Amino acid sequence: MSRRLSWGLGLLLIAGLVLGAFFVLPFRSWLPGGTVADVPNRLVVNGTALNRLFPAPEAGETLVFTQEKRGFSQARLKQGDAVRALLSISDVTTSPASRTKFGSSGSALAGWPLVEQGDQSSALLVADRFQVKVIGQGAGLSLDERHELLGAFNLQALAALNPASAQKALSQAQVKAPSLGGQSPEARPSLPAISPAEQPSDNRLAALQAARAAAHRQTAVLTPAA
Amino acid sequence: MSTTVLERLERLPHRNLTVLALRGISTLVPGTWTNITSAEAMIHEVLGSTDPELTRQVRDRADELSRARHEGYARALSLYDAVNRSQKAAGGLRVLANVAGALPLVKRLTLFTPANETLQAADLSLKVAAEMLAFTQVNGLPGDSFGDFGASLTEYTSEARVRMAALVCFDAFLPLGDQALQRLDGLLGRVASHELRQLPAYVGMAPLIPGRGDQAHLSFLRRSVDQWVGWADGFASQLGLTGQRTVRALETTIGPWHGGFEQLAIFLDAFTDTYAHTGVQAVARRLVERAAAEI
Repeated sequence: MSRRLSWGLGLLLIAGLVLGAFFVLPFRSWLPGGTVADVPNRLVVNGTALNRLFPAPEAGETLVFTQEKRGFSQARLKQGDAVRALLSISDVTTSPASRTKFGSSGSALAGWPLVEQGDQSSALLVADRFQVKVIGQGAGLSLDERHELLGAFNLQALAALNPASAQKALSQAQVKAPSLGGQSPEARPSLPAISPAEQPSDNRLAALQAARAAAHRQTAVLTPAA
Repeated sequence: MSTTVLERLERLPHRNLTVLALRGISTLVPGTWTNITSAEAMIHEVLGSTDPELTRQVRDRADELSRARHEGYARALSLYDAVNRSQKAAGGLRVLANVAGALPLVKRLTLFTPANETLQAADLSLKVAAEMLAFTQVNGLPGDSFGDFGASLTEYTSEARVRMAALVCFDAFLPLGDQALQRLDGLLGRVASHELRQLPAYVGMAPLIPGRGDQAHLSFLRRSVDQWVGWADGFASQLGLTGQRTVRALETTIGPWHGGFEQLAIFLDAFTDTYAHTGVQAVARRLVERAAAEI
């Protein structure tokens, strides 16, 4: 065997081993990116966008943010040292199973379906997309207190939050709905949240709802919105 | 990756030296610490309900979350494990050195063991940095936000308070004396990069520490310790933590101790897993809180 051939074979073997080690050994679990159910990142709203929609604490209470991940944000409502409730907003895109319980919901809050889970937890599904939940801690909260807290979230702005996926649909809807005027979704950051200061007007809300419906069709039935 | 966080929680010991040491230290910290080793009990506590169907849903979601690679819960545990392994290895070596020091033929072994204060300080700083990295993994705040870490340390709940007390007492006051926190920065200033590399935990953690090269890592460690010392100092003086009180608290559960503080620190390093034990409990709680919110 010629010397060059043996070197070539040796190098090939080493390269094969290195590549094999990379793909076979559990390095991949350390690589960043992705979401729980392997939904593409851009389809899930980042937790940063959700933080500002939490209710403002009343006098004597403090709101401490405890977790912020892709599609999830959680805070503790504290009175002095005692934790009164866990407040959270999650994007149900990563947990589709949690959406089903709202199907049988008989009650509503601010127009969105409301569900009770056990004695201490109330959940609201906003815009068929965001689950807002209040879980009483410690001494617990009454049903009315929980509902009051749910209502204190900025639900309008939450409903108007658009993940990047809906933007395409939004631009398509825009062609159909000229009422959107100069609003160009491309010109805005990838996660446009409408600040509480500029609540959507009625016709913009209608356009947004059309966009959401279009986005829903697009993702659920896999047929492009007409 | 195969065992989930909640399975790890259920495998924690109910009663051993680690639990006794933690129970001892918890007498110094108001707010009772309970050794929760049941996933169900934790879910019931967070959810405020014992509904079996809800419990099952939370459990399933928590397992799914801890298996998801980038969610960080499992990664935080591997950080704690790395630190714990290193602590045990170093502790075991020093126990050996203590024994060997008394035997004439193998006396020279003591020369090879990392027993000096500088390394102890570096070890403590690694634990603090691991705490910070694990915190960001679990709670998802961006890379090296020192301010958030300081603010959230004060928000740590029952397990974490005992956890911090154990860190302050076992890794600072016992081995370094009551002025440990004031001396820490000076001690860290003397750590050379080759000494840092002697610590097994550092080798495991290095890829996760922001910055490139040992010097950058060292400055990260000093910055995170800086942030932590400010808080730990207030915490220790508020609870009146000292080496003497630590020993007395431990004696209530473990039994009388006649050796020095330093020996007790080595003993605890070698034979207890307080850091990983409370770490699993703290991560499991955050995980259950998230799962309960997402079902």
